[in-house]
Amino acid sequence: MNSTQQTVRVGLFFLLGLALAWITFESLSGGRFFKEKGYTVIAPFSNLKGLKNGDEVLMAGVKVGSVFRTRLGHQRVEAVLTIDPGVKIPNDAVASVQQSSLLGSNHLEVGFGTPGAPLIKDGDEIKTQDTVDMNQVIAQLGALGSKLEQVAGDIGKALGGGGQSASLFNKLDTLVTETGPRFEDAVSNLQDITAKIKNGEGTIGRLVNDAQLHDELLAGVTEIRNAAAQASSFAVDAKAITEQIRSGQGTIGALVFDQKAGDDIRVVARNLREISDKLNSGQGTFGRLMTDDTLYREAQGLVKKADRALDSMGDSGPITAVGVVANQLF
Amino acid sequence: MKQLTALCENFGSAICMLARSARHINTLPRQFPRFIEQCYLIGYTTLPIVTILSFFIGSVLALQSGYSMQNFGAKQFIGTLVGLSMCRELGPVMVAILVTGRAGSAITAELASMNVYQEIDALMTMNIPPERILVLPRLAAVLVMMPVLAIIANLCGWYGGAIVCQYTAFISVDTQSYFAALKRYMEFNDILDGLLKAEIFGFVIVTICCYIGLSVKGGPREIGASVTRAIVVSLIFILVLDYFVTKALL
Repeated sequence: MNSTQQTVRVGLFFLLGLALAWITFESLSGGRFFKEKGYTVIAPFSNLKGLKNGDEVLMAGVKVGSVFRTRLGHQRVEAVLTIDPGVKIPNDAVASVQQSSLLGSNHLEVGFGTPGAPLIKDGDEIKTQDTVDMNQVIAQLGALGSKLEQVAGDIGKALGGGGQSASLFNKLDTLVTETGPRFEDAVSNLQDITAKIKNGEGTIGRLVNDAQLHDELLAGVTEIRNAAAQASSFAVDAKAITEQIRSGQGTIGALVFDQKAGDDIRVVARNLREISDKLNSGQGTFGRLMTDDTLYREAQGLVKKADRALDSMGDSGPITAVGVVANQLF
Repeated sequence: MKQLTALCENFGSAICMLARSARHINTLPRQFPRFIEQCYLIGYTTLPIVTILSFFIGSVLALQSGYSMQNFGAKQFIGTLVGLSMCRELGPVMVAILVTGRAGSAITAELASMNVYQEIDALMTMNIPPERILVLPRLAAVLVMMPVLAIIANLCGWYGGAIVCQYTAFISVDTQSYFAALKRYMEFNDILDGLLKAEIFGFVIVTICCYIGLSVKGGPREIGASVTRAIVVSLIFILVLDYFVTKALL
């Protein structure tokens, strides 16, 4: 092999190495040569939760793009997404960071949005939703575990007797020991009572065993129920009357709530009192009629005279009788 | 103590050899044909074995990791594992070992032969420093060729892993997912770290092999022994340095 061939081969070999290094660099750093085609969408978040460049953007599990890069914004972080050209995303679709596996890899899940809604264009922002961070969940579980541990400790103390107080089991033992005889007496009494009921003794026994008594009781209850219904109806009526009275309707209502009627009644009562006073004091015709019996006596004498006149008329005609009466009277 | 003194002497002599070589670095453009010849011997002739070996290392790595990872559902990370392993560790180390075996042994044998047959003495008699025409072109060639070999080894290993993932029934990770995982967790700095490692390994290999070749004393039997010693010392240095360089680069 001559020197020229050797030089050419070494040169080609070296260029091959340079080309491979450039391809690797472009591929790994997302350079222009290997940049994915598509349009750009900005997804703002308060926390990216480990989302990295190159992570997948999925819509219902189907890859529709990738995270081109992540950057800090104003009080937020932004994931710049490259969405495949054929994929149309409505502008009300919501993106969220989801965990792909328990080993920590993430992806960006994009919802379908509303059909017919305006589509997201190149450079637009997509709505995002922060998901629950596993670290937060684990922290909350840790706090919960601490509380459970505390509760378990309290229960253990209560059961085992913490400090100077007796344990729960000791208290229960004492309670059972002390109340055992009384409990046995109570059970014995209950047995007696149930035996009497079974034999039809006493009120409850007869009630349980006597069908007639039961029917009468039922009838009594029915009557009580009817009475209660009537009382209820009466109460409704009374309520209506009360309402009427309160609203000033009817005589009683007018009496109670009508000022003018009250004044009139007051005047009438005053007049009646005056009349009764006059009657009692013998003033006026009726007063004298009530207190002085002269008129009564004169009327009695007049009747006697009329009686005698009638007797003396005998068989005289009616005209004569009238004339006699008129003569006697006038 | 004697061995320790010999070790320190060897270190010192090797550094002096490097210093003498560096002193003649301005003569490198005039030695371009020698440089190209060494590039050909160190890089081009090592390429086939590097390609084959790296491809199968990547394949085996994917196979083993797929077998292990299928038990806990982490097969989608095989690309990441193979990619990072090849570019950060296996690629540079395997290239260094292959260059030691393929080119380092040849360098030691050639220089040891020249030394045994007094060609080195002849050069020195002609006031031609042996480091200028024997060491410097080789050092320059290995510094140029090692990154090229390493990047080819990386790519061959990645594609070997991708093919295994695609066509092995119990792995069944398609090529797209494999390379997506490989790209997701890897940066170009990982590649650069690997290339830097390869440079360091290549420099150390050629230094050791040249020094042992130039320091041979005795008859022709010493040529074989010096080759064996050069390869053993180079491999030890590669693996020891690998730890320290990796730790420094992390």
